[in-house]
Amino acid sequence: MAEIRHRKNSLGITGWAWAGKYKLERYLYLLHRLTGLGLMLFAMMHLTATTVFRIQGQEIWTATMDLLHNLWFKVGEFLVVTAFVFHALNGLRLVLQELGFALGKPVPPIYPYQDAIRKKRPLTIAMIVLIILLVIVFFYDFNVGGW
Amino acid sequence: MVIKNTYLQLAQIITGALVGILLTIHMVVMHLDAILGFFGIVNDTSWSSMMIRARQGIWAGIYIALLAFGLFHALNGLRNILMELNLSPRAERILTWFMIAIGLIFLAVGTYVPLALLGK
Amino acid sequence: MSKESMKLITFHVQRYSPEKDQKPYLQKFTVPSKHGMTILDGLLYIKENIDSSLSFRTSCCMGICGSCAMIINDYPHLACHTQIEEFHTDTLTVKPLPNMPIIKDLVPDLQPLFERHKSVKPYIIRHDDRDEMEQPTVEFSQKPEELDSFLQFTYCIKCGICIAACPTSASTKEFLGPQALAQAYRYCADCRDGGQDQRLAVVGKDHGVWHCHFAAACSEACPKGVDPAMAIQLLKRKLVSKVVGGKANPPSPLIPIPVDTKPKVKAPDFTVKQK
Repeated sequence: MAEIRHRKNSLGITGWAWAGKYKLERYLYLLHRLTGLGLMLFAMMHLTATTVFRIQGQEIWTATMDLLHNLWFKVGEFLVVTAFVFHALNGLRLVLQELGFALGKPVPPIYPYQDAIRKKRPLTIAMIVLIILLVIVFFYDFNVGGW
Repeated sequence: MVIKNTYLQLAQIITGALVGILLTIHMVVMHLDAILGFFGIVNDTSWSSMMIRARQGIWAGIYIALLAFGLFHALNGLRNILMELNLSPRAERILTWFMIAIGLIFLAVGTYVPLALLGK
Repeated sequence: MSKESMKLITFHVQRYSPEKDQKPYLQKFTVPSKHGMTILDGLLYIKENIDSSLSFRTSCCMGICGSCAMIINDYPHLACHTQIEEFHTDTLTVKPLPNMPIIKDLVPDLQPLFERHKSVKPYIIRHDDRDEMEQPTVEFSQKPEELDSFLQFTYCIKCGICIAACPTSASTKEFLGPQALAQAYRYCADCRDGGQDQRLAVVGKDHGVWHCHFAAACSEACPKGVDPAMAIQLLKRKLVSKVVGGKANPPSPLIPIPVDTKPKVKAPDFTVKQK
C-alpha cells in the first residue's frame, strides 16, 4: 500500500494575524506583537537620528529636526506614544497574569463553564479604559502643541 | 536549557518593567510640552534645550540605561517571535548570534554618543 | 415530525481525499434540519442519505470522547455538542481542525497531540515507594481542597480544539501546545505527585511553555471548560518559582486504609446470590 499523504493544514503566520471570532485577549495578543514590532522599528530610527546626526553638531541636528517637524512625523510620533501606552499597560497585565496573579482560582467545571480570562475580563476592560484615557491626555498635548 | 529559557523570560519581564518606567519619563518629558510648560518646565528638540539635557549626568544615565534595557527587551522579543517560525536548529543559532551582534553594535554606538556629549 | 418545523440548511463541507485530490475543496449539501439537531446529526444525515464517502470521526455523541472537533463557521466546536440553531443561519461551513495534518475530509491527524501529551509524563510519579505504585496497599493522601486546585484541568478530552485555536501552535511545529502544557500543570499541581522537576525540564525547553503569550483563545474555545490558558500561566509560575529558589512540595504521605471503621448506613443485602 502506498504511503498516505497527509495534507498539511497549519495556519502559519495567518494564525497569528487572523483573530477571527476569538475574543478580546486574542486581539490584544495581536496588538501587543504589532506594537512591539512597531516600537522597535521606531527605536532603531530614533537611535540613528539621536546618535549619527546629534554627534555631528548643531547645524546637522537642527536640519534633521526641521526635516522631522512636519505633520506626518507628528502623526507618527502620536502613534508611537499610543503604541507605547498600550504595550506598557498590556505588558503589565501579561506579566501579572503569567506569574499567576489576577487569575483567580480554578473552578469546578460545572456548566456554564467559567475560565480565568472570562472572569477577569472586567480588569482587562479597565486596563483598556486607562489606555484610552492616557492616549487622550497625550492627544490633548499634541493638539495644543500643533500638528 | 530549562533554566536558560526561564531566566531569559525573567530578564524580559524585568527589562520590560524598567523600560516602562524610564520610557514613561522620556515620553512625558518629550511629549507633554503643554502640560509641563504650565509648570514652567521647558523641554524641546532645539539644540540649546537638547544640550542642556545632554550635559547632565542624570540624563546620560537615563538614556544609556533605557538603551541597554530597551535593546534587550526588543531583540529578545523579536527573537521570541522569529523562533516561532519553524527555523532549523542551525538557523536558530545564527539568529541568536545575529541578535547579540546587533545589540552590541547599537549599545556601543548609543553609549558613546551621550558620553561624548557629556563633556561638550 | 411536521413539515413546518423542518428547515433546509446548506452545509459547505471541506472534502479532501489523499488518493484523488490535489487540494481540499468545499462541497455543498442540503440537509433538512429540525429543532434540536446537532451539526453531527447533519453530517450523519449526509453520510447516510447523500454521500457515503464523507469521512469524519464520531463516537460518543455526548461531548465525552473528543472525536468530532471541527471548525464550524470559522470557530472550533465539538460537532455533537453544537446545535444547528445556535448559528441562526441557513449556511454552515464545516472544515477540519487546523494546525494538524488532514488524513481525509474532516479527519485530522491527532497523533502529534498524543505524542506531545505523552512527552510531559501525564501520570503520577513517585520516588519514595515504587512497589506501592505497582501493587498499592494504601492510599495517597489528598484533601478535597487539594483536589480542587487542579480538578478543572483533569477534564481534558484531547479533542485538539485548543491546538486549533492557539496562534503559536499555528506556526511552530515543535510547540507542545495548550493541551500538553495544561496536562503538565495538572500533574505538577497534584499533591500526590513528585515528578515536577522532570516535567518542568520538558516544558522549559526551547519551543516550550515560554512561547505561550496568553492569547487565551484555547480557553475561549475549550468545549469542556478546562481553561488551559490558566493552567499554563500557573505552570509558568512554577518554573519561575523553581528558578528563584522555591522548593516543590514533597509528595503527599501514604495513608493506611482504616480497618476499624463502621459504616454509618447499613449496606443493603446482596440481590445476587453469593458463591
